[in-house]
Amino acid sequence: MRNHRVPGALLALALLAAGCSDERADPSIFGPEAPNRTFTQIERLGNPLVSEVLLEKRNHGFHNNGTPSTDVANFKGLVELFVRDVAGRNQTVQQTLSAVLLPDMLIVQTNKAASTAGWLSWALADGYGGRKPSDDVVDAGLAALFGTLLSPDNASPRLSSDNVAANDKQFGTAFPYLAAPTQ
Amino acid sequence: MTASFLRRYVVSTALVASALAGVTAIAYGSDHQDTPEVELSPRMDINDVYVFPGSGADRIVLVMTTSSPITPGQSASAAFDPNLLYQLKVDNNGDAVEDLVLQFTFDGADPSQRVKLRGPVKPVQVGTRNTLSSAAPVASGAINQAIASGQGIQLFAGLRDDPFFIDLEQFFRIIPDRRPATGALAQAQPPASAFRNPGTDFLRNINTLALVVELPTALLTAGGTSRLGVWGTISR
Repeated sequence: MRNHRVPGALLALALLAAGCSDERADPSIFGPEAPNRTFTQIERLGNPLVSEVLLEKRNHGFHNNGTPSTDVANFKGLVELFVRDVAGRNQTVQQTLSAVLLPDMLIVQTNKAASTAGWLSWALADGYGGRKPSDDVVDAGLAALFGTLLSPDNASPRLSSDNVAANDKQFGTAFPYLAAPTQ
Repeated sequence: MTASFLRRYVVSTALVASALAGVTAIAYGSDHQDTPEVELSPRMDINDVYVFPGSGADRIVLVMTTSSPITPGQSASAAFDPNLLYQLKVDNNGDAVEDLVLQFTFDGADPSQRVKLRGPVKPVQVGTRNTLSSAAPVASGAINQAIASGQGIQLFAGLRDDPFFIDLEQFFRIIPDRRPATGALAQAQPPASAFRNPGTDFLRNINTLALVVELPTALLTAGGTSRLGVWGTISR
């Protein structure tokens, strides 16, 4: 029984030492693999541009701490307000955008032809959907918000493209597909 | 504040060097550093999520990019945060609740760190508070290299060119509310009511820390339908 006290003391010292030096903290005690460690979400992203463009900055934290299952209830009104007041568009555009972008998830119809993959192709053309790195989502979003993609009414042609059509580097055709970093 | 004082002397076209203060690096991607908390800790920021068909029939690729912008000068020391849980979540039965998750964790805080992937597995909990699945990792290894696993799962965790492209400078002139609070783009610019032509890709020569997984599509539709909803999360 006397022997049991020594390991306990050593463990306490180890914990103390680990706690005092983050870099050398034992990951089995403090890292993500620590038993029962619970993680709280601080950021999430599904569709491009939803939080960044359509929601006012003061609502971004609200979005980041939420889940898709409450998106329609929480953000439908805010998204439609933006489309109405900032983009000046009619109800058709407002409601189409909120219906397509919320719940905020990238929708993929995996039973459709791979050649139809592209952001929102599931909504526009019953295609595969998803999002490819080469998709110009800025232009797609701007065309819907400010251009004539969804309605001809009150479009703003000079806002319907940012005139940057492609990445500065080519994407690969083999895993991992993204281009090598600039060193 | 000291930061705004210094900004007057920074060349407006240069990205603020992270040497100024490690915390002022701006995160871009389609979701740019969108709250003050995330601005101060760029490694907690998701830039973009991509999902597209894989290299063979019935394979699918999921990508989550994080921590951009990482300049070439910052790249040698770039590493994922070992205190965070990175996840890709998949709804496959149309109720906008995750049915399967891919969980990425890291061991070590510098580029010699190792990555572990668990999943796709049923989440232990749904929603915003999650624990690690008790399932054994399906793939693990060093970052910055392609890792293969027996189930036809390929994993890459590491530095890549940031695939996003946008005339960000002009965008923030048009909608100034969305500007980050710190850094080169935080300065108020003359407002604009239109994009310029040609536009300038603000993210050229910028890197990101990317998680890339290619796997059989069947592993994501399992127990559900062929229609998926995918999103990425970062938790701590």
